[in-house]
Amino acid sequence: MCVSEGFRGDSLGDGSTRGGADGLRGTLETVGWAAGIALAAGCSSGEEEPADPWWVQSGLGLDLPSGESDAARFLEAATFGLSEDDLTGLQFAGFNAYLDYQCSLPASLQRPALEARIAKGEDVFQNQRQELWWRNAVMGEDQLRQRMAFALSEIFVVSDRAGSLSNHPLGLAEYYDLLSRGALGSFRDLLSEVTRSPAMGNYLSHLRNRKGDPENNIRPDENYARELLQLFSIGLVELNQDGTPRLDGDGAEIPTYTQTDIEELSRVLTGWTYAGSANFTWGPANMLEPMEAFPEYHDDQAKTILGSTVLPAGLTPSDDLEQALDVLFQHPNVPPFIAFRLIQRLVTSSPSAGYVERVAEVFADDGSGMRGNLEAVVRTILLDDEARTGHLTSPSTFGKLREPIVRMAGIWRTFSGRAETNRFRFWNPQNDFGQASLRSPSVFNFFYPTYQPPGVLADADLFAPEFQITTHTMITLAANEYYDRIYRAYPGFANGDEHTVTLRLDGEIALAEDAEALVDHLNIRLMAGQMSGAMRTALIVHVNGVDLDAGNKANGMQRVLDAIYLIVTSPEGSHQQ
Amino acid sequence: MKRKPISELTRRDFLRWASYGAASSTAFSALSNGSLLAAAAQGGGDYKALVVLYLAGGNDSFNMIVPTDSASYADYANSRQNLAVPLNDLLPIAPATNDGHTYGLHPSLTELRDLFDNDRLAIALNVGNMVAPVTRAQYQGGSASLPPRLFSHNDQQSQSMRIRADDSTAIGWGGALSDHQEFLNGVTSLSPSITIAGSTPLLTGTNTQAYHLGTSGSVSLKGFNGNTGAAIQATFDALRGQAHGSLIQHQFAQTRQEAIELDGVISAALDAQPGFATEFPEGNKAAAQLAMVAKMIQAQSTLGMERQVFFVKVGGFDTHADQLEDQPVLYAGLSAAIASFQAAMEEISMENRATLAAVSEFGRTLSSNGQGTDHGWGGHWLAVGGAVQGGDLYGTLPSFALEGADDAGSGRMIPTQSTDQFAATLARWFGVPDLELPSVFPNLGNFAASHLGFMG
Repeated sequence: MCVSEGFRGDSLGDGSTRGGADGLRGTLETVGWAAGIALAAGCSSGEEEPADPWWVQSGLGLDLPSGESDAARFLEAATFGLSEDDLTGLQFAGFNAYLDYQCSLPASLQRPALEARIAKGEDVFQNQRQELWWRNAVMGEDQLRQRMAFALSEIFVVSDRAGSLSNHPLGLAEYYDLLSRGALGSFRDLLSEVTRSPAMGNYLSHLRNRKGDPENNIRPDENYARELLQLFSIGLVELNQDGTPRLDGDGAEIPTYTQTDIEELSRVLTGWTYAGSANFTWGPANMLEPMEAFPEYHDDQAKTILGSTVLPAGLTPSDDLEQALDVLFQHPNVPPFIAFRLIQRLVTSSPSAGYVERVAEVFADDGSGMRGNLEAVVRTILLDDEARTGHLTSPSTFGKLREPIVRMAGIWRTFSGRAETNRFRFWNPQNDFGQASLRSPSVFNFFYPTYQPPGVLADADLFAPEFQITTHTMITLAANEYYDRIYRAYPGFANGDEHTVTLRLDGEIALAEDAEALVDHLNIRLMAGQMSGAMRTALIVHVNGVDLDAGNKANGMQRVLDAIYLIVTSPEGSHQQ
Repeated sequence: MKRKPISELTRRDFLRWASYGAASSTAFSALSNGSLLAAAAQGGGDYKALVVLYLAGGNDSFNMIVPTDSASYADYANSRQNLAVPLNDLLPIAPATNDGHTYGLHPSLTELRDLFDNDRLAIALNVGNMVAPVTRAQYQGGSASLPPRLFSHNDQQSQSMRIRADDSTAIGWGGALSDHQEFLNGVTSLSPSITIAGSTPLLTGTNTQAYHLGTSGSVSLKGFNGNTGAAIQATFDALRGQAHGSLIQHQFAQTRQEAIELDGVISAALDAQPGFATEFPEGNKAAAQLAMVAKMIQAQSTLGMERQVFFVKVGGFDTHADQLEDQPVLYAGLSAAIASFQAAMEEISMENRATLAAVSEFGRTLSSNGQGTDHGWGGHWLAVGGAVQGGDLYGTLPSFALEGADDAGSGRMIPTQSTDQFAATLARWFGVPDLELPSVFPNLGNFAASHLGFMG
C-alpha cells in the first residue's frame, strides 16, 4: 500500500520539480522529486536525507539522445507524457540508464489505495478505480511499467461493462495490478496469472466451468479456450517470425488451430472456481485471489493440445493448466504475435516486418535463454532503429494516432495537473474519448490491431487501430473534452471546483511574451519536436495576435491555453511520430 | 481513392452524379436523365431506409423461436437440457405457411409476437455465413467449401457484413446497397450510409463510406465564440487545412473535416423536425440508437435522402454463462426496442418505407456448457416492417437432434440459407434489379434461390 500511496501529491504533485528552462541544474536543486523516491521506496514520511536523483546516481551516460527532440520522442513511447525530470535525466544518463532505473521501480498499484479508501468508510465503485488509473498514469514514477500495463490491458482484455464484473472495482483493480506487477516480467508467468485470475474467469466464463456430462449433452465452456488462443497467445494463422502470415503450397494462410483444439483446451480449463469456496457452484465471490480448483469438477482424462502434445490422464487441474500453457507459450507464433501488438501500442501502427522480427527474436530468447522476457522485449521495442528513426526514414507512414486517454494523462503529467481533492475525477472518459481503463465493449478491445479506416490509410494497406474509435462524433466530442480540460482548468479559473484538475503553467506563462519560445517549448513537450514549419508559423502568428490580457486572463494565459489546445486538437499533434 | 462520406458540391460531382444514373443502363434504363433529376428534386416519393440491427456476440436464436410439436420439441429439449425454454412458457404463433411444425416465441418477445401476428415480422430460419451449400457429410469429410475461421467472433461478424464470406477484404453489403442507390439522393454531402454504433465493415462500400452519428445526434465544436473564439477557430481551421505528408495526419484531418461539415447539415435538419409522440423505452441501448435512426428518417426530405442504410448494434448476446438469467433481459429489450421503432415509423407514415433486419454473427450451440452456450454457426434472422411479408417463416427448420443431419458437431447448426441470400432479399427491395444481384453478391449463384422471399 505504501508504494502506491507514496506518490500522492507529495512528490510529483507539488509542481516544484518542473525545472523549466534551467533544465538539469534547476531540477537538481529541487528536492521534491527525490523525496518522492524515498517515499516510494521506503514508505517514510519523507523526512530522511533526500537521495540524489537517479540520473546523478547513474552518472553521465554514453548512449545519450541526439537532442531534446530525440529524448522527447523516446519518452512519448515509454511514458504517458513528458515530465521535466525525465527529459533532464534521460539526456544526462542515457537511454539504458533510464530503462534500468524504470525497471528497478516497484509497481504503482490501484487495489491498496482503493482498500485504504474503503477503510476510511468511502464507497468505492468503478469510478474510484478510474481515478486510480489516472493517478498512476499521471503521477506514477514507474511510467514504463504503467505504460506497458496499459498496453497489456488492451491485449488481455477484461471489462467492467460485463455485468458480472461491474460491481467488482476491487477485483478489477487487482487485475490491473497483476498486469502492472508483471508488465516487465515473464510473459509465461503473466499467461498463468491472467488465466487464474477471477476477473478473467468471470469475464470469459471459465470460472465454474465444469467437466462435460455427455449423458446430459453438457460440454465444457469454450469461451476462454478460444480467446486464449485467438487473442492472448498464438492468433488465428501461422506467422513467420516477422509477423507476416505463413502460406501453404497453394499460397493460402494456415490456421493455427481447429475447433477440436478449442474443445480439447476447454476440457483443460475445467474445475476452477473462487478461492476459498466451500462449494464449486455457489458461495462468495473472492475477486482478489487466484481461482482454486475442485478436482472432482475437472476433466482429468487425456487431452491433445494443438493437435500434437498429449497431456496424460490423471493430471491435477493445475498441472493440466500449466502444461497446456507451456504448449501455447512455446508455439512459434507467440513472439511475433505479441511483438506486433506491443509495438503498435507504444510506437507505430504499421511496423515493418524487420522491426517485428527483431523484437520477436528477443521475445523468443533474451540472450540468456529466457523466452518471454517482457523487460527485454520493451527495451528492444523502444531502442530499435525503427523506433528511433522511423519518423525520418518513413515520414508518410510511421507512427500512430495517439490514444486519447494516453494523451489526456500526458497533458496532466506534463503540466502537473492536480485537483484540490488530489484526485483525478474523470470517471467516464469513454463517453468523449471512446476508451477507459478496463472498459472495452468486448474482449476485442477498443479497436482491432488490423483495423484499416476507409480512405488513404486503407488504400495504402496500413493499419491504424486508434481510428476505429475516431468516429465523426467522437473526434468532436474529444476536441470539446480537451477544450474543457484546458480552458476550464487553468490557474485562476473562476468557475472551477475542488475536483477541477488544474494545470500548472508557470513555465509556459514565463514564455508567453515570446511567441517563438512558447511554441518551441510546447513543440517539445506535446509533439516531441515534430511540428512542421507551417504549423509552427501558424501558431506563432496566432500567439502574436492574442493580447497578453486577452480573454480576461492575465500574463498571457490566453496565449498559453490557445497554443496548448490548438496543438492537442491538430492533426499533427494527434500523431505520435 | 475511395470516396469520402462527404463531398464538396462541385460541378464535377454534379456531373458525375448525373452521368452515374444515365450510364447505368441495366438498372435505370426506364428512367431518362431528366426524370432522375426530377425524382431527386421531389423527394419523399420513393424513400427507402434499411436498418440493420446487429445482435453482437452471437444470438442464441434457437431459444428465440422454438418448435412446439412434440417430436421437434423433444429433440430441442434433449439437446438444450437446462437451457430449454419450458413448452408452456412459449408464446404461440401461427405462421402463414404450414411446414408441419407448430411454433412458439420466447416468452420475453411479446411485442415481436404481436408484430408477427400483424404480419410485420418475418423470420428467416437457419441463416449463416457460407460460400456454398454444405452438408454434414461434406463438413465432416473436409470437402466443403467453408468460410474461413468459423466460430470466431470477429471473423464471423465481418463475414456476416460483407458481400461474400470468403474474402475478408470484400465491401460490406450495406455499403454495396448504398453504392448502388446513392445516385437517387442527388447532390448531397451526406453519405447514404450512417452508423449509430461506430465503425463497421457493413457500411464500407466502394464509392460510399459511413457517416458516424451518436445517439444524441450531431455534435458541434465548442469554444469558437466570445471575443477570443474567432481567432482560435481561424487557427484551428488553418492547422487542419494544411497539407499533411503523413497519411495518419491526412486521415485525421479528413475525419475532422467531414465531422465539421456534416454537423452543420445534420444539426440543422434534426432541429427542424417535430419529433415523435412515440416513446422509446429508457435504458435500452437498441432503442436509444433506433430513436436516432427514426429522427434521421423523419428528416429524410430535409436532408434530401431517397435511400439510406443505417447500422445499429447491441451487445451482450455472447451468452457463454448465465444464459438463463441474461437471455430474457436481452430479448425483452430487443422486443421493446423493435416495437417502438415500428410504432415511430407508423407515426410518420414510413412503416412501408423502413425495413429493419436483425442479424448476428452466428447462432449458438444447441448443447449446453452447463451455464450457457458456445459459438455455433446457423441461426434465425429477423425482418420487420410494412414492406415485409410478415407472419411467416422462410426456410427450413433444422433438425435439433445432436449428431443429426444438420449438426456440424455439438449442436452447431449447419446453415441452410446464406447471409448473401438474406442480404440479396433486402437488396431487391432496396432497388437492386434481379439481373444485378449476382454482380453485387458474387457467391449468390452457388445457392439455388437468389433471395428468400420475405420481401415479396
